[in-house]
Amino acid sequence: MKRLGGLSLFALAVALLPFIFPDNYYVTVVAVSAGLHAILAISLNLLMGYAGQISLGHAAFFGIGAYTSAVLTTRYGWNPWPSILVGLAFTGTLAYIVARPILKLKGHYLAMATLGLGIIVHIFIVQMGWLTGGPDGMGGIPTLSVFGWTIDSDERWYVAIGVLLVLVIWLALNIIDSRSGRALRALHGSEVAAEMMGINTAATKTGVFVLAALIASVAGSVFAHQQAFVSPDSFSFFFSIELVTMVVLGGMASTYGAVLGAIILTFLPELLVIFEDYEVMIFGGILMGMMIFLPQGLFIGLKDLLHKLVHKRSNKAKQAASQKENNHGVA
Amino acid sequence: MALLDVKDLTISFGGVTAIADLHFEVPESQVYAVIGPNGAGKTTLFNMLSGIYRPNEGSIRFLDKEIVGCQPHQVAQMGISRTFQNLQMFFNMSVLDNVKVGCHLRTRSHLWSAALRLPNILREERQAEAWARETLIFCGLEKYIEMPADSLPYGVLKRVEIARALASQPKLLLMDEPAAGLNDTETVEMRGLIRRISESGVSVLLVEHNMGLVMQVSDRILVIDYGSRLAEGLPEEIQNNPKVIEAYLGGEVQYAV
Amino acid sequence: MFDQILQFLLTGITVGSTYALVGLGFAIIYNASDVVNFSQGEFVMIGAMSAVALSAGDSGLPLWLAAIGAVMITMLVGMALQRFAIAPARGASVVTTIIITIGASIFLRGVALVVWGKDLFPLPHFSGEDPISIGNATLLPQSIWVMGGAAALVFGAHYFFNHTTLGKAILACSCNKKAASLVGINVGIMLLVAYAMSAALGAMAGILVTPITFTSYDTGVMLGLKGFSAAILGGMGNPMGAVAGGLLLGLIESLSAGLISSGYKDAIGFIVLLLVLFFRPSGLFGKASVERV
Ligand SMILES: Nc1ncnc2c1ncn2[C@@H]1O[C@H](COP(=O)(O)OP(=O)(O)OP(=O)(O)O)[C@@H](O)[C@H]1O
Ligand SMILES: [Mg+2]
Repeated sequence: MKRLGGLSLFALAVALLPFIFPDNYYVTVVAVSAGLHAILAISLNLLMGYAGQISLGHAAFFGIGAYTSAVLTTRYGWNPWPSILVGLAFTGTLAYIVARPILKLKGHYLAMATLGLGIIVHIFIVQMGWLTGGPDGMGGIPTLSVFGWTIDSDERWYVAIGVLLVLVIWLALNIIDSRSGRALRALHGSEVAAEMMGINTAATKTGVFVLAALIASVAGSVFAHQQAFVSPDSFSFFFSIELVTMVVLGGMASTYGAVLGAIILTFLPELLVIFEDYEVMIFGGILMGMMIFLPQGLFIGLKDLLHKLVHKRSNKAKQAASQKENNHGVA
Repeated sequence: MALLDVKDLTISFGGVTAIADLHFEVPESQVYAVIGPNGAGKTTLFNMLSGIYRPNEGSIRFLDKEIVGCQPHQVAQMGISRTFQNLQMFFNMSVLDNVKVGCHLRTRSHLWSAALRLPNILREERQAEAWARETLIFCGLEKYIEMPADSLPYGVLKRVEIARALASQPKLLLMDEPAAGLNDTETVEMRGLIRRISESGVSVLLVEHNMGLVMQVSDRILVIDYGSRLAEGLPEEIQNNPKVIEAYLGGEVQYAV
Repeated sequence: MFDQILQFLLTGITVGSTYALVGLGFAIIYNASDVVNFSQGEFVMIGAMSAVALSAGDSGLPLWLAAIGAVMITMLVGMALQRFAIAPARGASVVTTIIITIGASIFLRGVALVVWGKDLFPLPHFSGEDPISIGNATLLPQSIWVMGGAAALVFGAHYFFNHTTLGKAILACSCNKKAASLVGINVGIMLLVAYAMSAALGAMAGILVTPITFTSYDTGVMLGLKGFSAAILGGMGNPMGAVAGGLLLGLIESLSAGLISSGYKDAIGFIVLLLVLFFRPSGLFGKASVERV
């Protein structure tokens, strides 16, 4: 069970981190948000990396989940759990309705359409102030409790989101390694050939689009409860782009790549804060540089690089060895 | 009853008629070849038979069911599979996974049950893998099973494509120029493979420019030119048909391998 | 009512003209190199900001000279983008190039932030600020500059691509790189020219519109999005389609801002765009692409 091996290793690392760095801001705050980003990136990666359908509007579904939870719990006094379910139902329905016409589009047209979808949702969130609090957002969102265990501290959130992340990775790995996962990759590889093998490509695309949206919606609800506050800024076009960047940076069609991308892109700005005004510029430069030099993404890029280094060294060793032999012969 | 019954088939692209009023019948358990000069409309015909193009007129009945109006995946479900003139490999997967995709119709699981990895999934996975390996061995590809598709030479990929199509256990296999771009040894191997496929009970509709190969493996041959039916019959009849010889400008036909 | 609509139309065409220029820039780069350049909006910003900087203060250049300088600076930036960011990533996937150009846009915005800070800057109106009345509607002289300038640039670009050797050579590169280099076209230089042109168009759009809208380090973002929308609406790869798309988008936005709600005007623009794509998946004037198997 190679799959579960990697996952347990990852879970172990997540579990140990707080013990290695106790009381650390980067662990209890930044890592928690990296975890949420990783969940989003994994969901987007199913759609983009595996099925090959770009989406520049994934933040919309994250936002709908977050706002449904926020509105139902604060304005209508609902319990968080049914709110999350309603968010799921709402996001799923919306995603299902738009999926067919949008996913008929290809390449840059698909990019534009999903981008537009994200911006439309964002504008509605900003404009429907009577419900959403408008640009100022809304606060006072209650926290979650699981079977009486109230998630009321940063440490507990770390645990909760860590568990959720591992669960999402498990789901994603299961899907990829199944009949449906192969169907996703097949339609990425060649849509007509996939159809010819009996795959209903339109339905498959719709399915993965809805699935990705549902995962994003859960992440959104959790985000709302964790932050206790939501504002439209968290769900803008920029965030959609950031999610795409996480996927591509980590390496498309690799679940751990998506996680890596999310971690890097969450920590990088935190680390660049010391550069103050130069932060934006350096961030853009790093992004460009990484994509130019590692277009396959970090996960594969680093693997290749490692491979090459090892290879080179062994080559050198061989050369040295053969040289020695030659010298020997001469002597 | 014929396996495939094509009547009055016509399709045009913006004024150019690619197939005009074509009719033919493919009997069961045969290798039926469709030949014709470049641009005659053979691939277009395949695209209509597989539901990729919708003809302007005519009917295509497969086992007495109408194909016109069906989507390719529905056609596949009816028992037709195909290979492509321009390779349509899933280059993002291994050879084994490519062929496992071919088992799509023989397995049932869904996205949601797969996500939770319910017990039936494991069983199904093992089954699909066994089927895929079996098909790959049948096509003489055991050496390449674990390799990524994008690392293989063209001649091998052509056979992987056939294996993928066979994995769906079709009743009819459409092969669009399986020997194009193959060297002599590979062509001989391909001939053997086509025969074995036919012997295993799968009917084959073959488009091919290599006349030697066509004459050796086909039970019947249909010749089309400019989208129209030029001749139809047994290989010997076609070989001696003056209209066919003329269409190929005499010298272009070479019967020897 | 009629006067109001006339007013909305005039505003729409003015705004649409800028979108058209940015969209045209998108189309040129897309045609030449198959890249959708998400830093197109930053060209607009750099053009405007450099013009502001060059003409500022007592020792500043006269506006026309500053404008020329600003256009040249932006062209250099465009060529640098091609040379140092796009060219090295040749052969990368669509998404990767999108991320590279997004990285470039963040980088350029970051540079602008460092150089000019977060303030809003104006440019003087080219010929006064006394509104001209047309019926009961009014128009700023600068709007006429924007429309006229855009029209001139669009016709110029049209002439360039259809009637000059260099223009045709650039189009040839886009059709087939290998064939182009075989007939002796230096593809590398053509690409540089395309990026420079596209940057120049963006810069001029920025300089023309800044007297009305002002500029700051982040004005490029929204304009880039609108330009991309324009290019897609018209059909990617069709420069005149992008122009039409830009004008249409400007009109839709201004009409919906006036008649429906200004808060939702961008949303309405995108909704129309989506509807168009649902019925014409290759935009209004784009050629439907059929994948042959
Ligand atoms: N999607 C399409 N749009 C426009 N024309 C098409 C399309 N598909 C096929 N055609 C035209 O139909 C005609 C027949 O083409 P087709 O590919 O079927 O020929 P073919 O017999 O397979 O030739 P070859 O032996 O070279 O493979 C050609 O003139 C081709 O240009
Ligand atoms: Mg053909």
